[in-house]
Amino acid sequence: MRLLKGKARRRFLAAAGGWAAAALASSARAQMTRTPLNNMPDVIRKLVGSKTINKGKVKLDLPPLVENGHLVPLAVRVDHPMTETDHVKAIHIFTERNPLPEMITFRLGPRAGRASVATRVRLADTQNVTAIAELSDGSFWSDSAFLIVTLAACLEELPA
Amino acid sequence: MDMIEMPKVSRRSFVIGSAAAGTGLAIGLKLPPFGPDVVRAQDGSPEVTHWVVIRPDDTVVIRIARSEMGQGTLTGLAQMVTEELECDWSKVTTEYPTPGESVKRKRAWGSYSTGGSRGIRESHEYVRKGGATARMMLVQAAADAWKVPAAECSAANSVITHTPSGRKVNYGKVAEAAARVTPPKDVPLKDPKDWKIIGKPVKRLDTLDKVTGKQVYGFDLKLPGMLNAAIMECPVFGGKVKSFDAAKVSGRKGVKKVLQVGDSAVAVVADTWWQAKTALDALPIVWDEGPNAKVSSASIAEINKAALDADQAFVGNDAGDAKGALAGAAKKIEAVYAYPFQNHAPMEPMNATAKYTADKCEVWVPTQDGEASFAATLAASGLPADKCEVYKIHLGGGFGRRGAFQDYVRQAVLIAKEMPGVPVKLLWSREEDMRQGRFHPVTQCKLVGGFDANNNLTGLHMRISGQSILAAVRPEAMIKGMDPATFQGLARSGEFEFGYQAIPNYLIDHAMRNPHVPPGFWRGVNINQNAIYIECFVDELAAAAGQDPLEFRRKLMAKNPKHLAVLNAVAERAGWGKPAPKGVFRGLAQMKAFNSFVAACAEVSVAGGNKVKVHRIVCATDPGYAVNPAQIERQIAGSFVYGLSALFDQECTVKNGRIVEENFNTYPSMKLAQMPKVESIVMPSGGFWGGVGEPTICVAAPAVLNAMAAAMGGKRFRSFPLKNHGITLV
Repeated sequence: MRLLKGKARRRFLAAAGGWAAAALASSARAQMTRTPLNNMPDVIRKLVGSKTINKGKVKLDLPPLVENGHLVPLAVRVDHPMTETDHVKAIHIFTERNPLPEMITFRLGPRAGRASVATRVRLADTQNVTAIAELSDGSFWSDSAFLIVTLAACLEELPA
Repeated sequence: MDMIEMPKVSRRSFVIGSAAAGTGLAIGLKLPPFGPDVVRAQDGSPEVTHWVVIRPDDTVVIRIARSEMGQGTLTGLAQMVTEELECDWSKVTTEYPTPGESVKRKRAWGSYSTGGSRGIRESHEYVRKGGATARMMLVQAAADAWKVPAAECSAANSVITHTPSGRKVNYGKVAEAAARVTPPKDVPLKDPKDWKIIGKPVKRLDTLDKVTGKQVYGFDLKLPGMLNAAIMECPVFGGKVKSFDAAKVSGRKGVKKVLQVGDSAVAVVADTWWQAKTALDALPIVWDEGPNAKVSSASIAEINKAALDADQAFVGNDAGDAKGALAGAAKKIEAVYAYPFQNHAPMEPMNATAKYTADKCEVWVPTQDGEASFAATLAASGLPADKCEVYKIHLGGGFGRRGAFQDYVRQAVLIAKEMPGVPVKLLWSREEDMRQGRFHPVTQCKLVGGFDANNNLTGLHMRISGQSILAAVRPEAMIKGMDPATFQGLARSGEFEFGYQAIPNYLIDHAMRNPHVPPGFWRGVNINQNAIYIECFVDELAAAAGQDPLEFRRKLMAKNPKHLAVLNAVAERAGWGKPAPKGVFRGLAQMKAFNSFVAACAEVSVAGGNKVKVHRIVCATDPGYAVNPAQIERQIAGSFVYGLSALFDQECTVKNGRIVEENFNTYPSMKLAQMPKVESIVMPSGGFWGGVGEPTICVAAPAVLNAMAAAMGGKRFRSFPLKNHGITLV
């Protein structure tokens, strides 16, 4: 694993010989606990263009709830062959309430062997997380999970 | 009464998991014999919405997601459901739905978090809608049976009446049918002016069990075959276990296991807790104390003092040009205040009981947030949500220690994992509870006020230095590095709005300095010190201007009429401006916190220069709506016990990186004889929902301090607790 800068910092190259387990740390801090929904649908639309996002193939694993959102284990597995001609090109993770909706992109190639990634992420709030797999044939597949970030006592809404 | 044909309810009991003694857990089940859509409680009675179970004898079981820790939320929330359900209050009982069940049912009961004085004000709408939905389903079921329009029927006191014919039926008789009615989409709620049970000082639902001893607390819990664990974490925060000599104690009577828990703690498991505790005391442990072993209260205070004049600070609230106004002031007043670390010190120390097998992990725990405990259980056990469950138990005190922090749950599960199949109760000793707190943050505050030539306050700079809670606990909630919670009671707007916005130029900022001692949310959180800082200094300014503290405040509060209304109310009730009894002096304070407006007027006498008697405190609160005024009055009095204990006697000092005070002998709570008479004015003005459990705590201390200054010829104490100045509360 190597750390990249700027935009690339959020992208991890899962190169030959297995799967990437990379920590993600770039996203800025949440503005408030009741962060308004970000523009996740727009960002997803920008990725997939006019193509349909199919349900299936992708399995996004998140705990259903966590004490706090500092370090949440996240794993994605795509049930798809990884051959030269037919493989998972990328796995994109999107969040609904983090300051930046586009959380991670894992780039994969056939030599990754299997399309399975795991990392820990920071989640600002109770929200939906969506994983989208981009296949070499240009199709998109997705799975979503809802995660509860239990909120700290005495402070659910903060003074402005 | 008309008979409505009902399916026979089986008395078969559906027990899932194991219910702890005293916690009547009903877990919803969908079972074919009762039809596909009816969800049933353990005793087979149907749910009419997930909020309500109605038994054939008309007993109504109301589900309460928030935790009861003495504050009365169990009763208040049940009142809210009852109001809309129109059921007979004398037949209401309550139960906690389990967090695991909530997760299965897509968070049917919403948040479990019980803190921030939010239990009622955050959930009032959906719990009332739950009650209203259930009532509409019951009425619809009766109307269907009578073949009349539901609009011709009404409900009151658990009885449905068909008005044109006078036919009546009890809730218990229609519950089965009601459970099959499709819940209505449009659920109107009553106008507050029509409330019959909300706003009434009904008796608490949990009192009888508590006074008779039927209530089982977490640290009283006994499960069959249960073992007991004692634990010690490195007393220097951030330190780790280097080594321990288990052989020295493993042969002791009753000792079953000596084990490391995580990086930083060691536990002993034994037949009885005392065996575990004494073995742990005798166990040689070598700690790696880490880089903080030299930190002391004095070294922390030095850092905070320096930060009072630091160039860089986060601006939490400002208006006009405070620095310019102070530079041009005809007269300036300056004061520095300091507030210590404090511990929640609930009567019941931290505890959790856990049972682990490869297929199931169950935890019994007094917790302010069942979901957080559940999350900790998942993380520590490594098991999926459908193999975990948490059973909540009423708390023997919470005060903020048992919500955001689930360290004791993690520890209990990690210990239970080493003893598969055996329930293990982890109970912290009092000393462990005192050493391993999540402490009220340590801060200082420098205040500078400037007057023009006519004694008008033209500028105020309030510089807070020191610890941020969110930096340690929830960095994701910070705003560009700033901790907004630092400014509770001083904020630009919202539920912690500053009450002196008529000051033409002010600046309130925070130079953050975070020591290694872990901070937490301590009842009232940052309003405790902020109220002392601002309210005592406003009195100092009034004195400097030669003005009456009430009249002086009134001018500064011209833009905050609701803040002023509660202040005026206490002044009037206390007789401000009229002579007090001989030797008795008065002091005022006000604040907005947790969306309620609060104020206090204290009456104090001082004997021998150091013996302080607080005779009376008049307090007013405007929480928008008052669900149970009797309960609010008790909350106010209880908050004063907590706030005055902190003011006079409570400090956690740091020496060699660890907390010095380990028990109530050095960290005392005030006694009954020291308690002032408390007169409460509950004055809900409507249109908003404010909290009750915390806000009033913050006005007791500054009101008493201001009265003490009046009694002592202007002498002021600016660091706390007052015992450090030789002051005793009598």
